[in-house]
Amino acid sequence: MIQITDLEKFYKTEEVQTIALNKLSFNVKEGEFVAIMGPSGCGKSTLLNILGLLDDPDGGSFMFNGTEVAGYNERKRSELRKHNIGFVFQSFNLIDELTVFENVELPLIYTGVKPAERKKQVEAVLEKMQIMHRRNHFPQQLSGGQQQRVAVARAVVNNPKLILADEPTGNLDSTNGNEVMDLLIDLNEAGTTIIMVTHSEHDAKYSHRIIRMLDGQKVTENILA
Amino acid sequence: MLKNYFKIAFRNLIKNKVYSFINISGLAVGMAATIMIGLWVTDELNFNNHFENKETIAQIFQSQTINNTIGTGPAIPRPLEFALRQDHTDNFKHIVMSSWEQPRYLKFGETNIYRTGNAMQEGATDMLDLDIIAGVKDGLKEKHSIMLSESAVNALFGNDTALGKIVKVNNEDDLVVTAIYKDIPANNSFSDMKYIIPWKHYVTTQDWIEWSKESWGNNSFQLFVQINANTTMDVVNSKISDVKKNASSETAQFNPQLFLLPMKDWYLRSEFENGVQSGGRIENVWLFGIIGLFILLLACINFVNLSTARSEKRATEVGIRKSIGSQRSQLIFQFLSESFLIVFLSFIVALGLVLLFLNGFNNLASKAIVFPWTSLQFWLIALVFVIITAFLAGSYPALYLSSFNPVAVLKGTFKSGRYSSLPRKILVVAQFTVSVALIIGTLVVMNQIQFSKDRPVGYNKEGLIQIPVMSNEFIGKKDIMRNQFIASGGALEMAGTSGPMTNVWSNRSGYTWDGKPEGFQEDLAYTSVSYEFVETLGLKVLEGRGFSRAFASDSNAVILNETAVKYMNIKNPIGKYIRDSDTEDPSPPLKIVGVVEDMIIQSPYSPVKQAMYVFDSEDNTAFYNVRLNPEKSTSENLALIETVFKKNFPNTPFDYQFVDEEYGAKFKSEERVASLARVFTALAIFISCLGLFGLASFVAEQRTKEIGVRKVLGASISQLWLLLSKDFITLVIIALLIASPLAYYIMGQWLQKFSYRTTVSWDVFAIACFGALIITLITVSFQAVKAATSNPVKSLRTE
Repeated sequence: MIQITDLEKFYKTEEVQTIALNKLSFNVKEGEFVAIMGPSGCGKSTLLNILGLLDDPDGGSFMFNGTEVAGYNERKRSELRKHNIGFVFQSFNLIDELTVFENVELPLIYTGVKPAERKKQVEAVLEKMQIMHRRNHFPQQLSGGQQQRVAVARAVVNNPKLILADEPTGNLDSTNGNEVMDLLIDLNEAGTTIIMVTHSEHDAKYSHRIIRMLDGQKVTENILA
Repeated sequence: MLKNYFKIAFRNLIKNKVYSFINISGLAVGMAATIMIGLWVTDELNFNNHFENKETIAQIFQSQTINNTIGTGPAIPRPLEFALRQDHTDNFKHIVMSSWEQPRYLKFGETNIYRTGNAMQEGATDMLDLDIIAGVKDGLKEKHSIMLSESAVNALFGNDTALGKIVKVNNEDDLVVTAIYKDIPANNSFSDMKYIIPWKHYVTTQDWIEWSKESWGNNSFQLFVQINANTTMDVVNSKISDVKKNASSETAQFNPQLFLLPMKDWYLRSEFENGVQSGGRIENVWLFGIIGLFILLLACINFVNLSTARSEKRATEVGIRKSIGSQRSQLIFQFLSESFLIVFLSFIVALGLVLLFLNGFNNLASKAIVFPWTSLQFWLIALVFVIITAFLAGSYPALYLSSFNPVAVLKGTFKSGRYSSLPRKILVVAQFTVSVALIIGTLVVMNQIQFSKDRPVGYNKEGLIQIPVMSNEFIGKKDIMRNQFIASGGALEMAGTSGPMTNVWSNRSGYTWDGKPEGFQEDLAYTSVSYEFVETLGLKVLEGRGFSRAFASDSNAVILNETAVKYMNIKNPIGKYIRDSDTEDPSPPLKIVGVVEDMIIQSPYSPVKQAMYVFDSEDNTAFYNVRLNPEKSTSENLALIETVFKKNFPNTPFDYQFVDEEYGAKFKSEERVASLARVFTALAIFISCLGLFGLASFVAEQRTKEIGVRKVLGASISQLWLLLSKDFITLVIIALLIASPLAYYIMGQWLQKFSYRTTVSWDVFAIACFGALIITLITVSFQAVKAATSNPVKSLRTE
């Protein structure tokens, strides 16, 4: 599903150039659950942003479902993103002014789904995430675990092929963290490809494969299942 | 999608009440001001819209060159009518001679009313498309007829039938009501015309009118025309321009040029400078139009500044939306929808404000504007206005907010750049530049009015009334009335004059005198006056004396004002003669018996015109000027004078004007401009301060941590106050530096239109600058002191 070859990303300030990704290459197959680990600043989040088509690589190739997407413009990227990719962030990133229902509904609005169908899909995913009873609450009225459930619900409501999770349990206690990981496992078992950036060895063990990075490069790759 | 946008926008509004209040109130005030100015401008531009034939109606004006200066005005001589009818009739559908609008007493039974109206020729009814309610359309056909407006009929006849009844006009003429027409609405020429009497009757009422039949030099009438559909004003102008010049060798020396002033120009573009159309009220239309636009821009600037200042708060949302597939164009659309919502809400509030203050505005602007509820055009313009305002206010924030990089935002590393506040600073400077320029402008206008009001008028206008006595029943009664007024104790003195003391009704030329320069074309303000003219008015005699009953020869005497002596270049004027230049049938020479100090009769902004006060030996009295007795109260004096008046003229209502009030009316137009300017300046300052308040609270909020740290390190409240205030003060000082020369230049130009004018003095700038700084400090200090006195532990903990 994903093939990246010699991927490069630099950050320039006025005086120095920092290499965030240094000729990084790996593949991810459809249905895989891959964990990416490494110390802070090793390029994990940069990689995730490029995989999520939020950022452009400076060099190398990025094939998504057999198509080179590295040079895509903003419009094409957002088109591809909204139909294929869901995001789960460490800090949940829900819109404070929207209710649980409305937050989850948002991706469907952007893909042009009709209101009645939207309602059906949102309710189904809220049921699945067991937060239906909170559908009219605002994010600040929920616990951290509940907020991340909503974020996951929002990420999957469009049935994306790929979920990118950036330290999804980083802001949660262990109980809530485990629940979120169980949700991701369920999604993966249902066929969704998941790439997760994490610092947690515990969480990484849920995955099929762990890619470890240092200074923008892949240093090891462990296959767990 | 739109529903989602509005939902977020609405919840944001409720969540951030202070910012919402600042945005909506600022925009609402700005929009209300713009709507009111818009209504006013429309009202001004729609003047004379009532007339069906407005595109083809014109008034004949003439320009004459006197001593190399071209004067232009609507007064024309009577023979012009005959010349046009004889040689140019194919150009015109109607040629209508008219008197000046004049008040007359109209009496039926015991009811006596005083109304203004005109004497006009028959074509007037058709040309003005008068709406005849009853009677005949050619109601001016018979010499002894009168057409009355509906309101005059109601006042005079009540519920009785008016048609066919006889109305006594000025206690002299019995005229039969032949037609009743609907009053011409306000905001139109002739709206004060409550009656029309036939021209053929008017010309027989006074000898001088009859005599003027063949005089090309007596410019005492008006001539309105309607041109034929198959021609244009320009074509007609080319044909008639030299009619007077060619017909009269006597006036050809003044190079009289005739032209048509189209009806659409009567109200807005009736001023001429040296023969060239120079504007008029249209300048005020432009002035307030621009002020309205500026006020709206100021309010939009608040919106732009507050939206971009608070951008960090919206950044996460932008990042999230982008990450789940929103395109930038969709975000731009979203933010524009938000600004549309806010502008729409502001518009609703603005409509409320307009309805609330429309009456006050009407009083201020001397208008009778009615809110156009049923005008589809108004609502369409309002819709466009809302959309344009939403774009003005929302475009930049929409482009700015939608440009955020989602990666930086979602990573939490997003910070506004070092120069991100620069556009806001520029906009604040722009706001205060406009506000300070408006303050300076308003102060200069007020100074100019005060300066002109303080100008010595040359006579004592307080305690002086003028009683109009234009009908024939007053002829020969002047001395009797004077004696009785004084005997009553209500008056100290009285003098008759052929015109009011606040206007020149007659200008004369055709004189000669010893030492008159070759080719000199004199133009003198002419008033005939009675014996006690100097005493009644309290004029200062510089040389010679006033008219005196002790000198029989005073029946052919003249008093000049000091400007006239200089103008005519007469050395040692007392005892010299001014002669009629007509050698065939000359009037008796006038002996100069006195020179008086200049008195302002016309514009208080212009130089005093050279004037001659000729002894009135034929009783052409139009006004009794009565000096009230200072020993008694005004009401007592008026009661005594009225008693005397009623005893002598029992059928004539006692009407009078205070001369000082009539003089004060000369400032009305400028005072109206000043009042409106004061209000709009106050609004501009209010809106600018509202924005500054919002920005100050944003900066205080943004720098909470810094303030906490500084406090912990020992900063005093005054140091923190200075820290937070100085940036804004700097911006306002920059605005002052830009606004001051700008306002100096613009107001300098404005003052050029007044001959008698004040200067743009340093104290105006001092007041404006000091005022702007104080207002800024008060606005900013509230937030600065609040932040500086907050508990640092709390502010550090919040970080």
